[in-house]
Amino acid sequence: MTTDPNPNSGRSLDEASLKVPSKDPKKKNNEKNEEDLSDEDLALKQQLELYVERIQDSDPGVQKLALESMRQEIRTSTSSMTSVPKPLKFLRSHYGTLKAYYETMGESDVKKYLADILSILALTMSAEGERESLKYRLLGSEGDIGSWGHEYVRNLAGEIAQEYTKRQQIEEATIDDIMELVEQIVTFHMKHNAEPEAVDLLMEVEDLDLLVEHVDATNFKRTCLYLTSSASYLPGPDDMLVLDIAYTIYLKFEEYPSALRIALFLDNLQYVTQIFTSCNDLLQKKQFCYILARHGVAFLLDEDMVADDDDREALQDIINNTKLSEGYLTLARDIEVMEPKSPEDIYKVHLLDGRASASANVDSARQNLAATFVNAFVNAGFGQDKLMTVPSESSSGASTGSWLFKNKEHGKTSAAASLGMILLWDVDSGLAQIDKYFHSNDNHVIAGALLGVGIVNCGIQNDCDPALALLGDYIGKDDSSVRIGAIMGLGLAYAGTQNEQLRFKLSPILGDAKAPLDVIAFTAISLGLIYVSSCNEEVAQAIVFALMDRSDSELGEPLARFLPVSLGLLYLGKQESVEATTEVSKTFNEKIRKYCDMTLLSCAYAGTGNVLKVQNLLGHCAQHLEKGETHQGPAVLGIAMAAMAEELGLEMAIRSLEHLLQYGEQNIRRAVPLALGLLCVSNPKVNVMDTLSRLSHDTDSEVAMAAIISLGLIGAGTNNARIAGMLRNLSSYYYKEASLLFCVRIAQGLVHLGKGLLTLAPYHSDRFLLSPMALAGLVVLLHACLDMKSIILGKYHYVLYFVVVAIQPRMLLTVDENLKPLSVPVRVGQAVDVVGQAGRPKTITGFQTHSTPVLLAAGDRAELATEKYIPLSPILEGFVILKENPEYRDDR
Amino acid sequence: MLKVSVKWQKELFPAVEIDTSQPPFVFKCQLYDLTGVPPERQKIMVKGGLLKDDADWSTLGVKNGQKLMMMGTADEIVKAPEKGPVFVEDLPEEEQVVAVGHTAGLFNLGNTCYMNSTLQCLHSVPELKSALLKYPHSGRSNDLDQSSHLLTMATRDLFGELDRNVKPVAPMQFWMVLRKKYPQFGQLHNGAFMQQDAEECWTQLMYTLSQSLRQTDSSGTPETVKELFGIDLVSRVHCAESGEESSEIESVYSLKCHISQEVNHLHEGLKHGLKSELEKVSPSLGRSAIYLKESRINNLPRYLTVQFVRFFWKRESNQKAKILRKVDYPLELDVYDLCSDELRKKLETPRQILRDEEGKKLGLKTSDKNTDSKDNDVKMLDAEGSSNGSRDQSGEGSSSEKQVHLTGIFDLVAVLTHKGRSADSGHYVGWVKQESGKWIQYDDDNPIPQREEDITKLSGGGDWHMAYICMYKARVVSI
Repeated sequence: MTTDPNPNSGRSLDEASLKVPSKDPKKKNNEKNEEDLSDEDLALKQQLELYVERIQDSDPGVQKLALESMRQEIRTSTSSMTSVPKPLKFLRSHYGTLKAYYETMGESDVKKYLADILSILALTMSAEGERESLKYRLLGSEGDIGSWGHEYVRNLAGEIAQEYTKRQQIEEATIDDIMELVEQIVTFHMKHNAEPEAVDLLMEVEDLDLLVEHVDATNFKRTCLYLTSSASYLPGPDDMLVLDIAYTIYLKFEEYPSALRIALFLDNLQYVTQIFTSCNDLLQKKQFCYILARHGVAFLLDEDMVADDDDREALQDIINNTKLSEGYLTLARDIEVMEPKSPEDIYKVHLLDGRASASANVDSARQNLAATFVNAFVNAGFGQDKLMTVPSESSSGASTGSWLFKNKEHGKTSAAASLGMILLWDVDSGLAQIDKYFHSNDNHVIAGALLGVGIVNCGIQNDCDPALALLGDYIGKDDSSVRIGAIMGLGLAYAGTQNEQLRFKLSPILGDAKAPLDVIAFTAISLGLIYVSSCNEEVAQAIVFALMDRSDSELGEPLARFLPVSLGLLYLGKQESVEATTEVSKTFNEKIRKYCDMTLLSCAYAGTGNVLKVQNLLGHCAQHLEKGETHQGPAVLGIAMAAMAEELGLEMAIRSLEHLLQYGEQNIRRAVPLALGLLCVSNPKVNVMDTLSRLSHDTDSEVAMAAIISLGLIGAGTNNARIAGMLRNLSSYYYKEASLLFCVRIAQGLVHLGKGLLTLAPYHSDRFLLSPMALAGLVVLLHACLDMKSIILGKYHYVLYFVVVAIQPRMLLTVDENLKPLSVPVRVGQAVDVVGQAGRPKTITGFQTHSTPVLLAAGDRAELATEKYIPLSPILEGFVILKENPEYRDDR
Repeated sequence: MLKVSVKWQKELFPAVEIDTSQPPFVFKCQLYDLTGVPPERQKIMVKGGLLKDDADWSTLGVKNGQKLMMMGTADEIVKAPEKGPVFVEDLPEEEQVVAVGHTAGLFNLGNTCYMNSTLQCLHSVPELKSALLKYPHSGRSNDLDQSSHLLTMATRDLFGELDRNVKPVAPMQFWMVLRKKYPQFGQLHNGAFMQQDAEECWTQLMYTLSQSLRQTDSSGTPETVKELFGIDLVSRVHCAESGEESSEIESVYSLKCHISQEVNHLHEGLKHGLKSELEKVSPSLGRSAIYLKESRINNLPRYLTVQFVRFFWKRESNQKAKILRKVDYPLELDVYDLCSDELRKKLETPRQILRDEEGKKLGLKTSDKNTDSKDNDVKMLDAEGSSNGSRDQSGEGSSSEKQVHLTGIFDLVAVLTHKGRSADSGHYVGWVKQESGKWIQYDDDNPIPQREEDITKLSGGGDWHMAYICMYKARVVSI
């Protein structure tokens, strides 16, 4: 449709009001306007009236001529977007006449012609809900639909949608006639850059398959973008269908990396296989491997996917994340943060003179433990620190490991394990450094070493399976701290792998009636992590039996919560698949039943954005309980888990949580900060920061503790100066309260996680994909935080290491075709939502140009600032392979 | 014979031969030669677990060219230190005090904040504590009354308790004895104890202690309290009319800072306070005349107490009204120009030494600034800290060797503030500098750390806490 404003359409205010489709005022206006019309308009009006008369003539020739002329008149008339074209306006009063005449006509071409005219007239004249435009269109001559312009097509599409829903209700109604029209409209829209309209129409008539035929190389990207982003607002199973179509389209146009993203979103490994087999470009496949590695799926390549053995090994290495440590250290060297930091560098006590507590000359076990964690978090992955890995020459002789022994009893477990955190992902030197602790005569140290091995191997797969080989023998030991160390280590090392061997090793422990509860709890969690969102029946059964076997008093223990949590992890994000287990959970002991219900529900709908489930969970929180039940905590966390999927739902959840804070009972208030922490993990939103800052001074110390930990979570790995300042002030505010101070220290460590190079956000790939194991790690930690006093402040502080599965570098590292780091200029800025926008809109705003490797903050997006290379992934995050652009010519 | 490659840490040993007829232990010995890791420390990963010394190669399924991974180091095995560290959490409470860095607060027993703040300020004087410790349990001299003895005992016990505890202490015993000795503190109003003037409490307690502690010490220094707090004033009383002039000597326990329109600073107030007019009968004139009394300090104590005369009796309202005027006071007070000529002479040499010392420090600082301005702050702090330390040491040594000299320069160590509009209402709080140099605000049972710059903000001029009594500690040099 041409939208050139008609030079003749001198619109007056009165005319503008004509658009209102109510009849009475129009007539009056028409009469009133009669004399206002210019000569030209008057002539047009009379001409049209003449046509109307002629149409009613008995001679088909005259009729046809009149219709032809009228059609011409309507087509040639142009209008601005805001006013009705003149001919339509003048014909308004004759619509009824023509309709009546149409009914009297016999079947003929002329009748069809008239139907066409009526169809277009109905655009402005038919009453709401009559769908006359559609009716006459179907009766008409079925000519080119676009000839009447966009507005007509759009109106028709709307009527089709209504008609379709109506016909759906009537049995035996056919929709063939409509579908024919739909096809025409879709073709029209797709040709005219109106992909969203086409997609919308097809969604209304539930026939998205049609889309695949109509997309072409110019518009498939926009189409798919619209499809994928609308998916999060669709009810199931429509969302899956939509994504399926997007996948098909991407595959059709060989846009494999995007197809892979969809496949991963659908958690459909068959699709992944299909992508590998249909893609022939080895370099491209390497990029796929990087994406798979970031997502944390255990994926085994076979000969069909990659024929050459050496290539396959190289690709499998990428999936196994063996080079992650190297890449991360490249980033660290480039940003120049290799220098190890001590906890004191983080506490920055000198900024708090006077208010800070006097430097104590006696060690406090709790503060040393906090320092251990801070040191581990801050130096995570760097391979060097100032406490644990001090080189032997400076620490003459026996003082190696002296920091280790500055921790008390179970504190030594966390201290030894912190070595694993410092050497994260660097399996070779990590195992070598931890080795010496295996020979200690202190069980706590051995437990820590075992856990450390698990942490080092977290997310890294290795052919030799060192973690399994080393830890396997210890899971049957008598000492329960050693057992837990080994079991938790295995859980961390093999999270998400669904390793059968481990199931055979760990499941029997769950069935062991003599095993203490803590061993059972950690075994369940490890299995939950290993089989995260797998819906594995055997594991579920084993955990269910363990839950049933436990006595009443044991189920009342704080650690018992890990059993339902692990059950939930098996169904993380799997929606309906959980239902069978939910049924089983109804038979559980009532102490744990509701907790289990809530956990299963929240886990199953985690990351789905399912509004109904959020409502359901909110409903549970609205009840005021009297008996001190604990299931509302998981319900609150569940709101966050379900709503974290997309930005809008997230904002709404933040608001709802604010209400809970005001009206909820104490057990709800304690969970709210944690839920906020999960919603904005590694994404320090200012409003959330303020809420948490307020709560960190709450009179209820558990609310304050949760808020403090959450401040750490939302700032995790950002070095956010504002949060760091808040925490510093809190450290002096709470200098006397050891427990709160401990939480403050942990939060400080989290904020400076990996000196600001890491993130805990489970979402990646432009906030599209959710890494299930990362979320699982966070969920376990948050559930542990629901009873801070007995778990984290008790002797199970090492549950803090569950965050390790969520840790990822927040970097963009570009590599060349030989996978060697390659520095190129990139623009990094705030991501802009370009869904449904025509043309090539800017995708980032307020950008700065850096050279890679660069850090990406939450909500940041990067794009190449050079034409010299072509990235092999549309999303510039993590490792991205760059290919030289053959068309690039250096201007100089 | 099999050939495998073995990965150890970052190294890769290609083509290590395995004699499958021998037990794996032999293979481990081969690796010992290569890596130096003793066989018993080697962990070799094969499928499904670790390679055992006595395993059978044929069942392990090791293939030719396979990559094995070995873990293990020849590093020294970590041993727990024989003497583990001692943790605060394990300590008995009295030892935790050292770790916390300040002593306990005092519970308010019902408008006893005046007493609490006074006690906290006096508690900060280590010399007083040691003198009290020497005070015998029972050996009461005859000329000391029973209640004074009890009060002294109670003070000693309470100070001891404060030192031992981290948690707040309830000064029940002291409170009872104080009421017994000075019944005015037991005044009731509407069935509750009334708020009292902290200055009165301070003075009375000081008086009692000066009485009781004098008795005890038989050797050398007869009057501990006087030596610590007593100020000798020499006054010239001059009558302008008759030209008569006489001189008086008196000893007081605190200097008064009179507050009038002209007084903006402690120094001015002190000068003001040392001058007074009095009317007495002049023998030469035979009638009463106005005499001008001008006092000078003749002897300085170790701890100089300064009282801001903020309260005056307002007849109309029948209460002690408060002057809210802002009077600044320094962290470092120099009273040289308030001293008598005789004392000035004595002070001159120590002051010169002190100046030289500071000059040296200053010189150090400037050279620092040139090199690295960032480190400067830290070093300054360090320097200050160390000088503090040495000063304390020399202070302690003073009692035995008489080589320590006063300089007339004093450092602020405690402030007793009042908040409110009259002496018998409002709230008293003690602000005490700890040995570590940190300031603690003792708000009854709640000790709160404060910054030094906030201490000087207690100078009045609003409704915030304002200084009522300041205690300065003498800066000394040893020659």
